[in-house]
Amino acid sequence: MAYLERSSPTLKETLLKIYRAEKPIEIDQHFYEFGSIQYHIKCSVLDTNIVYVSTSTLLETQGIVTSKEILSATYEVIKNIAVGVIDIVDPPRLGFQLTLKLHLDNIPRGKAAEAIKIITRISEIQAIILSSQLKKMLKRLNFQDDSQAINNNNRPIRIVYHPSEPFYVFRQAEKITAVFPMNFKDNSDVVIAMSFFQELVEVGSQKEMGKAPQCSWSPVPPFQLRGEPVHDLTTNAGFVSFDITSRHVEGKRLDKTVWNLLNFYAYVKYHIKCSRGYIQRRMRKRMDSLVKRLNNTRFEEEAPQKENGACKYVKELVKVPKGKLMMQQRCKDMTRRVKISKFRIRINGCARFRFNQRWISIPKFSSKSSNKSYTKLD
Amino acid sequence: MFQANPLRLYLACIRNTLEAAMCLQNFPCQEVERHNKPEVELKTSPELLLNPVLICRNEAEKCLIETSINSLRISLKVKQADELENILTKKFLRFLSMRAEAFQVLRRKPVQGYDISFLITNYHCEEMQKQKLIDFIIQFMEAKKEISELKISVNTRGRLVATEFLKQFM
Repeated sequence: MAYLERSSPTLKETLLKIYRAEKPIEIDQHFYEFGSIQYHIKCSVLDTNIVYVSTSTLLETQGIVTSKEILSATYEVIKNIAVGVIDIVDPPRLGFQLTLKLHLDNIPRGKAAEAIKIITRISEIQAIILSSQLKKMLKRLNFQDDSQAINNNNRPIRIVYHPSEPFYVFRQAEKITAVFPMNFKDNSDVVIAMSFFQELVEVGSQKEMGKAPQCSWSPVPPFQLRGEPVHDLTTNAGFVSFDITSRHVEGKRLDKTVWNLLNFYAYVKYHIKCSRGYIQRRMRKRMDSLVKRLNNTRFEEEAPQKENGACKYVKELVKVPKGKLMMQQRCKDMTRRVKISKFRIRINGCARFRFNQRWISIPKFSSKSSNKSYTKLD
Repeated sequence: MFQANPLRLYLACIRNTLEAAMCLQNFPCQEVERHNKPEVELKTSPELLLNPVLICRNEAEKCLIETSINSLRISLKVKQADELENILTKKFLRFLSMRAEAFQVLRRKPVQGYDISFLITNYHCEEMQKQKLIDFIIQFMEAKKEISELKISVNTRGRLVATEFLKQFM
């Protein structure tokens, strides 16, 4: 898994369901994603070609300019996703930041692939809203002179897209630094995350990764974050920093950079969850092998072999089908062994030389190769 | 090779001690009529208890073998080099202890100061072969190897994930 998907899977599935429905359906659904993103979909039976999609998210940036609203440029980007299909409703539905009116009849009917593509792009509205703000910020910081940065006292911008997961962005000489304070509830998560951060720093310092942003970890916050709220800077897994250069902010790379930064927390949590699942699977497998080994210590397997107490070597039981003839053969073998054990004069190792068939008979060994293995009793 | 020898000596010492200690017989409780309890857990009658044996490989790895007339308790302490090994050991041994009924000879809660404990009674010795039971205990002590493998796997996975994440920027 390289990165998380931009499109909301539930929104996409619901829109496809409405688009493909043969009969008109009534939908009035509310759902949440990642805890802070809220969606509402409404579709009426009276007019199935119109679907209202409302969305809301935690959009908070504090720094040079405090912003809690969607940028106007973002509205243009959203309208251009599918011209003629999307209309922005003003004012938005109560409790939401954005309401879209979708005209599903304007989506070409004959071309399924194109319809899926348009619906997938519509499902990415949250990614577009979250990315646009950070993109503008990074562009502005990138084109800012060092003198301007000094005038602004290099104040960090605090971005909160998920409650209790803020991160900071500030400008330094020739680079922009994004700092992520890492907090985890469980102690074992902290340990797995720390080993991941160690690997991240080591991999980032390799020559092959020279084009990727420089990554660093520290247990204390950088001095640029002095003055920020204490509860944001109190962590149990340190601070991860990415140094973003102008190279990562130019052209098409800006989109990837922004998306990777937005999803860093989710990425780390997903890795921890998968690691825990893997550990659980390994433990379960090991436990099963240990239980099997313990069950092999039981005496029950060798219970039938106790009948030949006089013999040092016990023949391994051969799996024979349950038939009358085979049962008779086994009885004959048993009788012969009893006769041998009752012989008066017994010389060890000379059983094969006794020719008196009235008293003894030499047991016939089966030609099957499986009969030739013996287990020795201790 | 040099590191394997101390381990072999340690395991050989434990094996020999277990062979001597695992001579258990049925012994009803002296205090409560018609009760049969593992004396090593109760420790009410000193005449039924043998001297406990502590075998130390180093400060962090040791094995305590406590014997009585009808039961035997083996407690193990596993070495934990760092935080990751610490949590992996705790998780793994706790996972096994919570499923003690599947193992029968495993104690649900380890003795204080140790990571995992076994309780073997005379009934277990009657149902299971002594040598194979000792082999099982010795093999169990190779849990350290399993934990080391887990640690390497977690680190390897972390490295692959980190590589994939950073590749997205390129």
